[in-house]
Amino acid sequence: MKPTSTDLGLVARVAHLHKSYGTTNTRVNALTDVSVGIRRGEFTAIMGPSGSGKSTLMHIMAGLDTASSGSVWLGDTDISGLDDSNLTVLRRRRVGFIFQSFNLVPTLDISGNILLPFELDGRAPTAEEQAWIDRLIAVLGLTDRLRHRPHELSGGQQQRVAIARALATRPDLVFADEPTGNLDSRTSREVLTLLQTASREYGQSIAMVTHDPVAASYADRIVLLNDGRVVDDRSRSTPEEISSIMLGMEALS
Amino acid sequence: MTLMLRALREHAPSILVAALSSAFGVSLISITGVLTEVIADADLNSETLTFILSFIAVVFIVIALYVGALVTANTFATIIAGRVRTIALLRLIGSSAAMQRRAVAREGLTVGVIGALLGGIVGVLFPVVVVGVGVAVGMIPDGSYTYATATMLLPVAAVALTTTAASWVGSRRVLSVSPMDALGAAGEQSIGEQTARRTRNRVALLLFLGGNVILGVAVAIGQTSPLAVLIGLAGGILSFSGVVMAASVVMPRALRGIGRVFGSSPTARLARENAVRYPERSARTTIGLVIGVTLITTFAVTAASYQSIIETAQKEMPGVYEGVGPVLTVTVAVFSVLMGFSALIAAVGMVNNLSLNVLQRTRELGLLRALGFTARQIRRMILIESAQLSGAAVAVGLVLGTFYGWVGAQSLIGGIPGSPGIVLPTMPLALIGVIVVAAATLTVVASIAPSRRATRITPVAALARA
Ligand SMILES: Nc1ncnc2c1ncn2[C@@H]1O[C@H](COP(=O)(O)OP(=O)(O)OP(=O)(O)O)[C@@H](O)[C@H]1O
Ligand SMILES: [Mg+2]
Repeated sequence: MKPTSTDLGLVARVAHLHKSYGTTNTRVNALTDVSVGIRRGEFTAIMGPSGSGKSTLMHIMAGLDTASSGSVWLGDTDISGLDDSNLTVLRRRRVGFIFQSFNLVPTLDISGNILLPFELDGRAPTAEEQAWIDRLIAVLGLTDRLRHRPHELSGGQQQRVAIARALATRPDLVFADEPTGNLDSRTSREVLTLLQTASREYGQSIAMVTHDPVAASYADRIVLLNDGRVVDDRSRSTPEEISSIMLGMEALS
Repeated sequence: MTLMLRALREHAPSILVAALSSAFGVSLISITGVLTEVIADADLNSETLTFILSFIAVVFIVIALYVGALVTANTFATIIAGRVRTIALLRLIGSSAAMQRRAVAREGLTVGVIGALLGGIVGVLFPVVVVGVGVAVGMIPDGSYTYATATMLLPVAAVALTTTAASWVGSRRVLSVSPMDALGAAGEQSIGEQTARRTRNRVALLLFLGGNVILGVAVAIGQTSPLAVLIGLAGGILSFSGVVMAASVVMPRALRGIGRVFGSSPTARLARENAVRYPERSARTTIGLVIGVTLITTFAVTAASYQSIIETAQKEMPGVYEGVGPVLTVTVAVFSVLMGFSALIAAVGMVNNLSLNVLQRTRELGLLRALGFTARQIRRMILIESAQLSGAAVAVGLVLGTFYGWVGAQSLIGGIPGSPGIVLPTMPLALIGVIVVAAATLTVVASIAPSRRATRITPVAALARA
């Protein structure tokens, strides 16, 4: 019998993943034969140049998009075979998201946005969850903003709300696509430290897509993509090391 | 190519509305003409009858034009709302607001001309068929009737003009799009607009109250003279214009009330928030239906109250009202059909606005799905939203229509011999039932197709939409 993801200590996994867009004559191969696992409790960075397939990989791992071929597991569930509503419930319970932009529901205020995952699940946060949410709100500096609507916040503030929402339910895995892309360096550091803390102290598994070597240096592990393939997989590195690898890669492509 | 298709999809309903108005106008003129010839041949008091017939035709054509123009203006406003980002981008790279608006007006002109011509053709052919059938079953004497006259060019031209004008009015929002909208969250109004709105609301309130005072006067005078109905007509137009102007204040209130009916599941709660969140959008979507329902109800309540007053008077003084029954029934039937046509135009507008709203929100729906709304929940949310919108429109229309209709009957025949004086309005329950069922059907039709389309693509694709 094949080992399950859990046996391997993985929270998500793809094997021989291919993804192409367009028709035969305009075909773009966004991902080519990608096999990679995200380890439970770790903070993983997915890096690579623009257009290398990072967002595509994240979307497919999270069940937001479908693969052209290959297998995708979330925990021990093979999600390539799931229908849309099962996939949705899985996402609701087990995955958190932080997107590059357009993260918040415009009709809900900040508090409503943060509590949305609970509401979608038809329950209120437990006392313990509420305490965690309050702490997230305080750390992210959103205490005075709870009654505001998203359009009344700056881009960075909106991003922080999305982070609070993604971490609020303590999902199995949080996917973050350039979560610090819109933030100044001080706020970025705070956010990254928060993600790191969530991972170290609470065992939160996080997969973060980023360009930024400094952001990636907060991660326990760095997976490098180039032109739709995994080209490197390394443990914690300094920003300088990561920069030089990235530069080398850009020179090649 | 895709651009062309998209433009066609956006404008097809406006073309349909223009075609309907134009077909209605042309066939009404044609049928009136045929009837006039029939009457002239039968030599019944022809002068007066011809005049009355033409007068009625003109009134109904004007109503259809008015409803059509309102619907089209709203549709264009919705389309513009969906294009804010594109317009802002064009502004960002140097296009002027006036240029942008002229481009929209050109689209309006094209839509108007195509729709008016198509409708004109249908409008010429339709009476030929109707009269043919009428002759075949012996209702209309055989003869050679004229089906095409120069007068028919009037409604065709009027539709082309009103559609263009409506697109111009509806595209007002283009002027307030700032290049900044390309960058940030679009769709929120600026302070300047809010102030302008406040003035507008004051004027609206004034119109509404003033109109209602005049309506009261009409009822009082109606106790002695049937000419009071003309005063009532003026009052009604003022009062209703006030409601239309203040729709973005009135409709959200009604929506909030109706929204409670659907409970407090996350789906219903979000739907309620959505419906109330953008008052302009809700007003645009519902006002067409409000007009349709108000028109029909006004007319039906007038007719029903009229009938009941006459029946009472008939009991008081039999003899005076001999033979009035059948004439009344026929008149009511004919007027109902004519009114129904304007309601149909309003319905097309409602369906279209609801669908456009959903299409324009693809990205938001994608986000909700990413976060854990199932496609089914999304569809239910949209259905509830649409149900709220049409429910609110029907409720407001029924209330207004009942009031106006009652004033109509009172001012017209409140003072006839044997009249009971001031009576309660008579509600035609069957008709109200029909309106509610029709509105429910509209809601479902308008929301199902676009919500399916919105949930068929993956959440990622939805999120990537502009
Ligand atoms: N919907 C789509 N249709 C066609 N091609 C697409 C689509 N989405 C992505 N691609 C292509 O797939 C490739 C990978 O895109 P992806 O968005 O995953 O890159 P990325 O690594 O996230 O880049 P960035 O850092 O710029 O966000 C690119 O070549 C892109 O052009
Ligand atoms: Mg990306």
